[in-house]
Amino acid sequence: MKVFPDDLLYNREHAWVRVEGELATIGITDYAQENLGEILAIELPEVDSYVERDEPFGNIESAKGVFELMSPVSGEVVNVNEDILDDIGIINSDPHDTGWMIVVQIKDMEELDDLLDSREYHDFVIKEAEGN
Amino acid sequence: MAMDEAIFRVNQREDSLPTLRIYRWCPPSISLGYFQKIRDEVDVAACNRYHVDIVRRPTGGKAVLHENDLTYAVIAKEHNPLFTPDILGTYRIISGCIADSLSELGIYAEMSVDSRTSGDDSLKAVCFSSPSHFELLVNKRKICGSAQVRSRGVFLQHGSILLDFDPVKTCALLAPRKGDRERQIEKLRESVTSVYEQTGTEISVEKICHVLQRGFEKKLGIELVEGSLTGEEEALMTRLIKDKYTNNKWNMEGRGASRGY
Repeated sequence: MKVFPDDLLYNREHAWVRVEGELATIGITDYAQENLGEILAIELPEVDSYVERDEPFGNIESAKGVFELMSPVSGEVVNVNEDILDDIGIINSDPHDTGWMIVVQIKDMEELDDLLDSREYHDFVIKEAEGN
Repeated sequence: MAMDEAIFRVNQREDSLPTLRIYRWCPPSISLGYFQKIRDEVDVAACNRYHVDIVRRPTGGKAVLHENDLTYAVIAKEHNPLFTPDILGTYRIISGCIADSLSELGIYAEMSVDSRTSGDDSLKAVCFSSPSHFELLVNKRKICGSAQVRSRGVFLQHGSILLDFDPVKTCALLAPRKGDRERQIEKLRESVTSVYEQTGTEISVEKICHVLQRGFEKKLGIELVEGSLTGEEEALMTRLIKDKYTNNKWNMEGRGASRGY
């Protein structure tokens, strides 16, 4: 089974968040990238745009289809990972670290209360995998 | 396209039943995959000459010329017991329904096990040039292509079942890169087939639709009931037509159009 870092929070749409002060770095989990398979294309929001919690902040395509990326928090996008736009394979090879996607200035810290910790996310994906 | 997306979006927030739509296109149109770059992959001037519209799909995959095809859309929750939550499993189940339907017409299609390419880079934008996972082949020639989008636990799968195939027109519209046109046409002719080619006769569209309906019902053990859009779906479809699917920015460039629906 995958290991999900303890210092991250997770939503049920398989996005992770690393919170540092009021900034949230967001990416997709190792479980998500493995299910998607080789990622072929990604669309991310522009810096200064606004993302809403539980709304799509971008799209990703693998050979299996297109998948909407759901934001775990609301706020203004302050940084976008240009490296993954140049080398998209990073999302598959290092999803929890250098494969990060965007950084958001968190609007409401209370939104973090609804996210899962690594243990809860681990249990969630086990249940989901059993459903498969 | 707008109707499919409206049903897909409303299904994400409501306890809706799965939907199967089967339809044709008027005027003939090219549908592009979500991420495709139009300038690289479609000859827009040729489309204008042939009076062929261009629309971008919310689903992935490659470009399809919808002229002599039946398009289907299946929309359901990932965890609906008729399907399987894993992505490839859904392709396999839906392809199984279509394969069973085609067999009623005497066409014996098999599912491709792996993705492969036509070996001709200039045809890479053309959906029917290469089979993907669990797409349907007759004697190794593709007859039905499919693609998905997933969001909030719901999938929308689009597919195109070729009734007839015109490799010359397909090449003219979908392979704008310079290359050996004769060879491209020959490659497509070798790798693509159609219902009419296989049956040797033009079966009525009504009959094929009926066979498809029965194929889904038998394979899934269900009874399909004719439905109509709910008020919410109707309103969202109207919005999607206006803001997205008649919007050149979306159709030509894509990007950013999945928000707010």
